[in-house]
Amino acid sequence: MEQLALTLPAEDTLVLLPKNPGTFFAFWRFSSGKEEAFLSSAFAPEVELRVFRSEDKSVFFQHRVFWRAGRAYLPVPERGGACEAVLYALRNGEWERLLDSNQAAAPESADRCDDRARASMEFMKGGSHEL
Amino acid sequence: MSSRGSLVLVLHAHLPFVNHPQDSAFLEENWFFEAVVETYVPLISCLERLAAEGIRPGVTISVSPTLGAMLENEALEKKLALYVESRLELIEKELERLQGDPVMQRTASYYRDLYESAAEMLHKYSGDLITPLKALQHAGQIEIITTSATHAVLPLLARPEAVRAQLSVAAEDYLDRFNRKAPGFWLPECAYDPRLSSYLKLSGYNYTFTETHAIAGRGDRNPNGVYSPYRTTSGLGLFARDSESSREVWSSQSGYPGDPAYREFYRDLGYDGDYEYVRPYLGADGNRRPLGLKYHRITGSGSDLSSKLPYDPEAALARAAEHASDFLARRLRQADEVYSSRGIRPLIVSCYDAELFGHWWFEGPAFLEAVIRKIRQERLPLQFVTPSEYLNSCQEPEEVTPAISSWGEKGYFDPWVNESNDYIYPAVYAATDKMIETANRFRNQDLNSLAQRALNQAGRETLLSQSSDWPFLLYIGSHADYARGRVSDHAANALKLLSEVAERNVDERLLSELEKKNNIFPRLDFRVFASVSRF
Repeated sequence: MEQLALTLPAEDTLVLLPKNPGTFFAFWRFSSGKEEAFLSSAFAPEVELRVFRSEDKSVFFQHRVFWRAGRAYLPVPERGGACEAVLYALRNGEWERLLDSNQAAAPESADRCDDRARASMEFMKGGSHEL
Repeated sequence: MSSRGSLVLVLHAHLPFVNHPQDSAFLEENWFFEAVVETYVPLISCLERLAAEGIRPGVTISVSPTLGAMLENEALEKKLALYVESRLELIEKELERLQGDPVMQRTASYYRDLYESAAEMLHKYSGDLITPLKALQHAGQIEIITTSATHAVLPLLARPEAVRAQLSVAAEDYLDRFNRKAPGFWLPECAYDPRLSSYLKLSGYNYTFTETHAIAGRGDRNPNGVYSPYRTTSGLGLFARDSESSREVWSSQSGYPGDPAYREFYRDLGYDGDYEYVRPYLGADGNRRPLGLKYHRITGSGSDLSSKLPYDPEAALARAAEHASDFLARRLRQADEVYSSRGIRPLIVSCYDAELFGHWWFEGPAFLEAVIRKIRQERLPLQFVTPSEYLNSCQEPEEVTPAISSWGEKGYFDPWVNESNDYIYPAVYAATDKMIETANRFRNQDLNSLAQRALNQAGRETLLSQSSDWPFLLYIGSHADYARGRVSDHAANALKLLSEVAERNVDERLLSELEKKNNIFPRLDFRVFASVSRF
């Protein structure tokens, strides 16, 4: 997995970003205390990301992933709208809420938007070039 | 003659901030030099020529703050002069080398004119191309707008403080550069989300542009489609891009730039020339790369590079004039169709990256000049207007809630968030979050000059880490190491400076180096990142 050659401060962060009408991108980091808890197996290695609609707090997707993965792609509710994510970890058989994300607005799918000429991408296709 | 439709033509001029004063030559600085010679000088020449002839261009130009800073950067101006001089030297050699080949020699001669024009304009304005743009705006010939401070894709900035910083730094930068308030705002990558309307309005902008499907892609909610301006609940004016006129110019397959007569972009003397002959012009590493001297035409969409035919500048310019006529004929037809179907005299909003004209599509500036000139000379019932003029003269626009969208591939944010580049975001957010936290902590404190400087520089580094250019370059696999290095360096610089301020241990030598290298936004105050209770 590609990474930047840069050590980031150990701080609790969960960010949810819109990608397209079908997908959110989420990434997370932990404070050193929480990281230690994972390393010492106080938390189970799999964390659970729950994505819910901000409007009614209803969870529409749960996704389990290794705590160190640091990022995941998550689905968007069918009609779009504002969503949030929460990251849970399992300790002694109980799910513990560790990180809360920002609110992200999911795009609503538009008709006929895939067949348009797209900015400079059109000129980036094929061949070697500069700029 | 009454107009059957109005045209808003927006050219978005942007390059990422690339400034390496410690190196006598730096590969990525060539992006700027190429764009100046091939795009900015030809466009400014075209606008000045039209204005001198009494033909008001009426186009809208978005000058990104990063590009504006480079256009005013003295170190880059000196390197640019050397670049032009070096190309002119090579062209002289080419004219001699091509003596037995009059067709190719004619093209070399055309390049001599191009580079000499650049040298003349740079000399005339002492290397600062903001001056003629400012003069054109002052004379009412064009309207200049801005974009976010470092061209961040704003919907991907989850923190309101970060969005506010991008918008207000850009507003201040515009005021400093153009001595007036920015009338409008170009959303980087046309990327819109609902938060932006109020942020933009509160930052003093009157209007912005969205992608077509922000307005028109969701059925019949907006009966005028993209052919009228709108306003949001915050009172922000909105113009939606017309995809029909965009496709004719943007598409490399079906659009004008793919015409067989036009210059082939990918075949270049840097690859074709004898290695020892071109070596002095390739750069320190000696790798073959484009030199901007291209002698072949597109010839045909299926033809490979080796089978391209010689370029004929005169034939290509004649084709550009034909395409200009075709473009205008299509706009008239489009205006009539809209009038028949919707009962309105349409406003057609055509938005393009400025660098398409000249750099990618070599004949693009000639096409634009012909479009503007023909409306006047042929007395066509179309008019170019600026967004401010249109908003001032039209009826109160209808209110809309635009959809989340961008003009990128697939219409949303995929080019900037995908598996080729998503790993940069933890670093960008680490710098951004620490910047906000530190700004909140120190906003009301009396700081010594060194701490203040360090915090301001951390703000510059944070903004630079957020540029859309880095994930985009990673996505297309072009200059990926450079893009990765830039995100990493800016985030690391911001975090280091913020940590040093917190520990009251600022390394003044490093700070001075960063201030010299990343010397954008000289008036930036770190407090622009502080949270506000209500925005």
